Amino acid sequence: MIICSNCKHSNMDGSMFCAECGAQLVGKDAFVTQNISTEEFKKIGGQSPIHEKIQQPLGDDSWGSLHLLDSGQVISLSGKNEFTLGRVSEGQPIMPDIDLSAFQAYAAGVSRLHAIIKRDGDQFIYMDLGSANGSFIGGRRLSPNIEEPLKHGDIVSLGKLKIQTLMKS
Amino acid sequence: MSSSAPMDYYALLGVFRDASQEEIKRAYFEAAQKLHPDKNTAAGETEIFLEVQKAYETLANPKRRNLYDATLPPEIANYSVITQETLFSRPNLVRMDEPQMMYAFLEISPREGTKKIPAPPLNICLALDRSTSMQGEKLDVVKATAIQILRSLRPEDVFSVVAFSDRAEVVVPAGMNAEIKKQENQIQMMTAFGGTEIYSGLAAAMEQTRRTLTPGRIHHIILLTDGNTYGDEQSCLELADEAAAQNIGISGMGIGHEWNDIFLDALAGKTGGSSAYIAQPKDIQHLLVEKFNTLVSIYADDVILECKETDGVKLNYAFRLQPELGALEPSPLVHLGPILRDTPLHVILEFIVQPSALGEKTAELMRGSLKPIISARPLPAQPLRFNLSRPVRAQSSDETPPRKLISALSRLTLYRLQDRARAAADSGDYDSAARSLNRMATHLLAQGETSLAKTVLLEADLLEKSKTWSGSGQKDIKYKTRALLLGGTKENLL
Repeated sequence: MIICSNCKHSNMDGSMFCAECGAQLVGKDAFVTQNISTEEFKKIGGQSPIHEKIQQPLGDDSWGSLHLLDSGQVISLSGKNEFTLGRVSEGQPIMPDIDLSAFQAYAAGVSRLHAIIKRDGDQFIYMDLGSANGSFIGGRRLSPNIEEPLKHGDIVSLGKLKIQTLMKS
Repeated sequence: MSSSAPMDYYALLGVFRDASQEEIKRAYFEAAQKLHPDKNTAAGETEIFLEVQKAYETLANPKRRNLYDATLPPEIANYSVITQETLFSRPNLVRMDEPQMMYAFLEISPREGTKKIPAPPLNICLALDRSTSMQGEKLDVVKATAIQILRSLRPEDVFSVVAFSDRAEVVVPAGMNAEIKKQENQIQMMTAFGGTEIYSGLAAAMEQTRRTLTPGRIHHIILLTDGNTYGDEQSCLELADEAAAQNIGISGMGIGHEWNDIFLDALAGKTGGSSAYIAQPKDIQHLLVEKFNTLVSIYADDVILECKETDGVKLNYAFRLQPELGALEPSPLVHLGPILRDTPLHVILEFIVQPSALGEKTAELMRGSLKPIISARPLPAQPLRFNLSRPVRAQSSDETPPRKLISALSRLTLYRLQDRARAAADSGDYDSAARSLNRMATHLLAQGETSLAKTVLLEADLLEKSKTWSGSGQKDIKYKTRALLLGGTKENLL
C-alpha cells in the first residue's frame, strides 16, 4: 500500500500516480518533462521565441536543432527520429513535420515536401525529396532522393532558405 | 520467404507451430477468402493460393503434420514483420499479500527492411450527418473537405459518400473516381434536413464499403456527426463489431457539443479506429485531412492483441498514445489500431496483479500474441508471440521508472481524473466530481496549461453550484486533456 502524501488516499503498491488526486507517487526525483507556457511571452509583446506551430523542445531528448540563418530562429528536433521539411499550402493535404511557411519559405523556393532530415544512431542524414529548386549542403548541389551525411554546423539550403544544422552527438 | 529455404507452412498460414487444429483451420479460411482465384485475379497469387492449400492439407491431418514437423528446421524465434519492445514501470514484482500494479509501455514497429511495401489503395466511405443542425457553415465546410479529399485520391482508391439524417442516402456510390466533376456536384447538392439517426448512416456506409471488400485495400469509414442518436446506440455498436471482424475500421468525429462522446469513442475503439472532437466548424477540414493522411501512410491496418486469461492478473486499463490517441477496451481481443510507416504504435497497459499470480520466481502478466493485419501483403502476416512476465522478489527496487512511462502516465492520470469526475457526476456525486476537477486544475497549472486549467475550474464551480456541466466544457476538458498526451504543445490539435 502506498499512502499518497498529498491526499492520504491509499493506492495499490506499484501505483505511479495517486488515483484520487493525481499526485506523483514514485520517481519524483527523476527529471519530468514539463511544458513551459509561451503565453507570457506573447503577452509581453513581440513574437514568441519559437514559432507556435513548431513542436517545442520536450525536455532534453532533442537530438539537434535547425537554425534559420535569416530570421535567427531555432527549431528543435525532438520526439522522433525523422522530420520532413516543407511548407503547408492551402487546399493540399500535405503536412510536413516542420512547416517553414513562417520563414518566407514560398519566396525562397521551398517545395511543399522538400526534404527529410533524420537520425540513424549517431549519424545524421539529409535527403532531398525531389524538390523543385533543390538542396545544397555547403553550396554543393545534392542529387534528389540520395541520402547525404550531415555534420554539426553544416549549412543546408532549401532553395534559397539557409539553415544551419546544430547536432548533438 | 526465400525460395532456397524449404516452404514453412506455418509461416505461410500465419500461425505458430503449436497452433491448434482449430487455429489452423481458421487461418486457412482467412487466407482462402483473400486468395481464392474466384475473387482474386492478381497475377501470381493463384500460385500462392495453391501453396496455401497444400499447407492446409498437410497441417490439417495430424499424421501428416507430424511427419512434416520432423522435417522442419528449428523455429526461428520471430519472423513476424513487426517487432515490439516493452518497458515496465518496475523491474520486478514484490512478494506480498495484497494486490499490486504494474505498467507496461509497448512499442510496436515495422521490422527493419519491411517498411518499403507500397501504400495499399484505400476504400473509404464518408458517412456525413446532414441533419437540420448541420445547416450553414458546418455543412459547407464538410462538403468542401469531402471534395478536397475526392480530388486528392489516387486513381486506384475507392471512395463513397453517404449522407444521413433520419434516413440514409448514398451521395457518391462506391467506385474509383471516374467522374470527379459529377461526384463533386452530387456532394455540393447535399442539403440539411431531419434528425440524426446514426445507425441508418452507418449501415449504408457499411454496405458501400462492403462492395469493394477486396483484399489488399484499407477499408475505413469516417463518421461525422453533430448530434445525439436516440435509441440505436446498441445496434451501432453491434455493427462496429461486424466491421471489426471484416477488417473495416471506423473513426468518429463529433462536431460541437451535442453529440455523445462516450458512444463515439466506444464505436471507434471496437475497430481500432480513432475519435476526435471538433470544437469549431473551421477545424473540420484540418482534422478530416489529417485523418485521411493517416490512412494513406498506414503500414499495418490494425494490430490485434489476443491474450488468454492469466490467473490473478487483470488487464485493468489500456490506452493508445500514438499514432492516434484513444482509450482501448481491455478485453481478451483488443484492436490496438494501426501502425504508420513512420510512426510506431505506442500503448500503455495497466495490470492489477493478485497475490495468487506470484509464482516461485516469476509472475506471468500476459500470454498471447500480436497479430498485424497488413492489407498490402497478400498472405496473412505472421503473429508475434507476446508474453509478459516479471520476476518476483522480496524487496521492491528503488529504480526510477523509465522517464517515457512517467511522462505519459502523468498526463494519462489527468485524463483519468476527468473520467472519474464524469462518472461521479453521472452518479449524482457532484461534490466529489468537483473535487476531482479541482485537483486536475492544480496539476494543469503546474504544467503550464493555464487556459485548460481555467476551463476546468469554471466547470468545477458550475458543478458545485448548479449540479450540471456546461455542454462544451465537458468535451473541451476531455479532449484537450487527452491531447496533452501527444507530448508536445501542438496547439492546433483541437
